[in-house]
Amino acid sequence: MKKEPLIVERILDAPTNLVWDALTDNNKMKKWYFDIEHFKAEPGFEFQFYGSSDDKRYLHLCKILEVEQGRKLSYSWKYKDYAGESVLTFELFEEGNKTRLKLTHEGLETFPADLPDFAVESFTAGWNHIIGTSLKEFVEKASEHTEK
Amino acid sequence: MRRDVFQAIADPTRREILELLATQTMNLNAVSDNFNISRPAISKHIRILTECGLIIIQQEGRERQCKADLGKMKQVVDWTNQFQVFWNNKLDALESFLATEQQSKKSISPKNKK
Repeated sequence: MKKEPLIVERILDAPTNLVWDALTDNNKMKKWYFDIEHFKAEPGFEFQFYGSSDDKRYLHLCKILEVEQGRKLSYSWKYKDYAGESVLTFELFEEGNKTRLKLTHEGLETFPADLPDFAVESFTAGWNHIIGTSLKEFVEKASEHTEK
Repeated sequence: MRRDVFQAIADPTRREILELLATQTMNLNAVSDNFNISRPAISKHIRILTECGLIIIQQEGRERQCKADLGKMKQVVDWTNQFQVFWNNKLDALESFLATEQQSKKSISPKNKK
């Protein structure tokens, strides 16, 4: 398995402070990411969540490692009862009125490679559902609502 | 239509077919016998799996043997690959969310100049 971190970059059409809020304020996080009650962007803060509400098998365990207000947020990411631990980092760069977001996910090679069941269920059945169906519906409803 | 490993495994019947073929080569009839759905329906799933590159059909005499391409299957369990898809989807959602938020902000305070 590859050892290089996974890096995804995006230019977001919003100022950095709005992107930061979307990453750290649960009222906003739950609308596109996960619902993590009492989320606090503070080093040492621990949180957990399930991949989806109808899939309670894989509990994600995270701990905040690094916070640079408005610029960088980093936390560990692993699964309860499974080997492996990864680190997820969001970095924000101001580009005029827009924001370049750089996401780095390191340590994916530490996750077990021989659990197809885990991989298949967690990523396609469960997550595709939230991402493809519920989230899409939510976003579309939200934009309908603001249009009115 | 998208034809990749993720499309292939999005359907529960196709996942079962792959599981079945992961350990043995079988002909089409033998695969169908394991399911309660019609043979044409199974054939269709097999065709999609073939197009996604996860199954190879080999003609052996009068029989068509279905064989899983395990190299391609490995992609499915490659975490980097899965997270690539996952994060791209999440960031799409973030983009939509930010667009909605910006829009509602503008409609609340129209005097707010950039």
